Amino acid sequence: MKKDFFILRLLVLAILWVGLGVLLLQGKLDNRLVWQGLVFSALILLGCLIEYLLGYKGDPYILPVVQAIMALGLVFLARIRPASALRQFWWASISLFVFYLVLLALRDYKILGRYRYLAGIVAVGLLLLTLVFGVAANGATSWLELGGIRFEPEEFVKIAMLVFLASYLGENEELLRIGTVQFGRFSLPDWRTFGPFLVMGTFSLGLLAAQKSLGTALVFYLVFVLTLYVVTERFLYLAVSVPIFLLTGSLGYLLFGHVRLRVAMWLNPWSDTTGGGYQIAQSLFSIAGGRILGTGLGNGIGAFQVPAASTDFVFSVIAEELGFGGAMAVLCLFLIIVIRAFVVSLRAQERFGQILAAGIGILLGTETLIILAGVTKLLPLTGIPLPWVSYGGSSLLVHFILLGILINISHSTAAGTFGLKAKRREYSA
Amino acid sequence: MRRGIRYVAIGFATSFILLSFGLVYWQVAKADSLQNNPANRRLILMEDRVKRGGIFDRNGEILAQTKTTDGKKTRVYPKGEIMEPLIGYATLKYGASGLEHSLADWLFGIRNSTPAQELEQIFQLPRQGDDVVLTIDSNLQKVAFDALKGKRGTAVALDPRTGEVLALVSQPSFDPNNLDKNWKEISTVESSPLLNRALSKYPPGSTMKVVTSAALLRAGLNTTDLYNCTGSTVINGQRIGEQNDKEHGWVNFNKALADSCNTYFATFGVRAGSQRFLEAARGFGFGQKIPFELNVAPSTVANQKALPDALDINLLAESTFGQGQVMVSPFHMALITAGIANKGVIMTPHIVDRVLDPDQNVVLKTKIQPWLEALTNEEAEKVTSAMITAVNDGTAQPGALPDIQVAAKTGSAETGGDVRTHGWYIAFAPADKPQIAVAVLVENGGTGGGSAAPVAKALIQEALSMKEGDRK
Repeated sequence: MKKDFFILRLLVLAILWVGLGVLLLQGKLDNRLVWQGLVFSALILLGCLIEYLLGYKGDPYILPVVQAIMALGLVFLARIRPASALRQFWWASISLFVFYLVLLALRDYKILGRYRYLAGIVAVGLLLLTLVFGVAANGATSWLELGGIRFEPEEFVKIAMLVFLASYLGENEELLRIGTVQFGRFSLPDWRTFGPFLVMGTFSLGLLAAQKSLGTALVFYLVFVLTLYVVTERFLYLAVSVPIFLLTGSLGYLLFGHVRLRVAMWLNPWSDTTGGGYQIAQSLFSIAGGRILGTGLGNGIGAFQVPAASTDFVFSVIAEELGFGGAMAVLCLFLIIVIRAFVVSLRAQERFGQILAAGIGILLGTETLIILAGVTKLLPLTGIPLPWVSYGGSSLLVHFILLGILINISHSTAAGTFGLKAKRREYSA
Repeated sequence: MRRGIRYVAIGFATSFILLSFGLVYWQVAKADSLQNNPANRRLILMEDRVKRGGIFDRNGEILAQTKTTDGKKTRVYPKGEIMEPLIGYATLKYGASGLEHSLADWLFGIRNSTPAQELEQIFQLPRQGDDVVLTIDSNLQKVAFDALKGKRGTAVALDPRTGEVLALVSQPSFDPNNLDKNWKEISTVESSPLLNRALSKYPPGSTMKVVTSAALLRAGLNTTDLYNCTGSTVINGQRIGEQNDKEHGWVNFNKALADSCNTYFATFGVRAGSQRFLEAARGFGFGQKIPFELNVAPSTVANQKALPDALDINLLAESTFGQGQVMVSPFHMALITAGIANKGVIMTPHIVDRVLDPDQNVVLKTKIQPWLEALTNEEAEKVTSAMITAVNDGTAQPGALPDIQVAAKTGSAETGGDVRTHGWYIAFAPADKPQIAVAVLVENGGTGGGSAAPVAKALIQEALSMKEGDRK
């Protein structure tokens, strides 16, 4: 088992160094990036050692797969925007460090559950702060500046929100499932039970919409609805969520010009390829330019042509340079993570962990789907980062913290921390 | 909770599969059409990395070539404006147009690329694209270009037996060699030299009567029956007039076409009915995309729909002599003429004869194949006979040649407003064994016989003065 651990990490390093090597041969690599790459590689191997020393017993696939995705992302950032890549390597190293910190310090992840309402208040408070003091960029007011460092509170809110959801749903599960108030044929939970959920949902979504972070609002909405469904297994909640979404969506469409533009450009980007349709048209040109095998790393044209190539549209550049094969590989890696998160949830021995792991899986899945469907014109485009790939420290850090929590859940299941006698089998390869 | 997770997991897996179908759609199914989208700069940016192949005429004369001096590539066009806007241009700054645009994937060597070209692409080595040999004859092209000088118009010459494009001229033109310097003027001047007039649509005027003829013949018209033209007639309350209200007197089919008698074609066209008329138009390729290397605007019978289900009587009457809402590109008109010349069969037009890889191996040789069967052999003979009458004893006389029998038809298309008519002239020769079919249009040139016929005459004379064997 330990050997597999190690081999998977070597594969990650191979992805990183083959990529950086190709760029080096083409003369497109900043020398400082080589050093950064070495530091990062050392951290990955060191981490492997730490896991060994700690006797880590959790899911052996999640971390290497995430690292593989991240290695790919770093290579592409180095190719698209070396200046960003320099910073992103720093963020990657810091995030990896924080990940192991979480792994060590937050072994008893259940502590998080105690701060349910604090988490909720912090989440809403952060969003409110951003709305008032935030800095606008790319049309959305979603950055806060603190001592010269810019960060995106909405990313950190994801952690608080998931903790709140897991704790709240774990406690009110029964009441939500059975309901206490009769509404014709349906029995619904009363206000005291459902109130906190509704208040949190409405507040956070409203604040996100006010910041014009439509993509993140959509992610949150889906996470709320799907997690609620997963816990209660009541189809009613899903069924009700659709008309609510359509209603608010239409309202947004009628009220906001930028929403109308997004939809119009989704329906027909070719009508205005130099104006509003520019982004999506360039993204599709780039994806189509890759064909089956891709142009090869460093040969694509999308890296200069596609707007926001290092953030929202990074997948378009990957699809061009690695082709359909490479894009499918990225899709598969993400799907593996999502499914493994669900597996962790299914195997977890107590409710809070189960819900939290499922919530993390749902979050990762929706984020990936929304941005990838956006750049491939399957859905209207709402710019959100592709987890672990897009440039941006906040997103990277937050996703590694979530990963740390997920892995801790997996580990305590395997180690039987929470007092279950029957030790389940270890997930060995 | 187990069931919930399982369902959600299945939902995510399904969504990812849908996403991968999306990738297949864009990266496989739509890859070519997106690559050719005019807003896509991929092909233009490739300019930087690839040495574009050359473009040659049928006699091997260089039409476009990339020269490298001190590592700097320049695209030169030895024939200058004679070949424009047909050949087009290819610059990093302004993109590409014409054949430089539509043949770009060959010229870059990315279509059916050889293993060597593949390797060069993967390793980003300096690459050489494929050479393209056209069916164009520079001599003919120059003759037509000179004949149209000072006018706004276009001339297209085809070989009716093969569909080869021998000349395709549009005036005014521009010099592609100093494009970057002169771009501002070229792109803004009112006469729009960048526009390829051969591929744009115009009302066909009386040249449309050759198409209407098919409908008349199929309606059982006896070509020897006489009709009395009194200078104008009234059909369904609408007055149909002759040009200058000229009375043609008693005419049969041949004489009606030769004298370009509107009332004859309107009367018998309405009698033949809109179905027969539309069927004839469809047979000649109206409303269809013309299979050609350049994008040609499809010809239309009505504004609402290219080929409507039926026409009302008034519109039908006007359409029979090419007014109303009928719009045809001069290129399509040349194809129609070639179809009549080739016993009713329109051959698929093409301008690329063959494509050669950098080692001069043939990677593509265009196949000669029919496109449409517009007329039966017998119908084609009857129309040809009338077009001969038009040259010998009718409006098309200015295009006659002393020792070669030409078959032709004129047109003077009204464009609305108080401006001179567009002059049309379509012709093929020799009438009994056609080697060349021509369509000429002169914008606001007045009558076809006066403005367009001399251009067609010069083209036919030049083409037939060369012995069969001279043209390869």
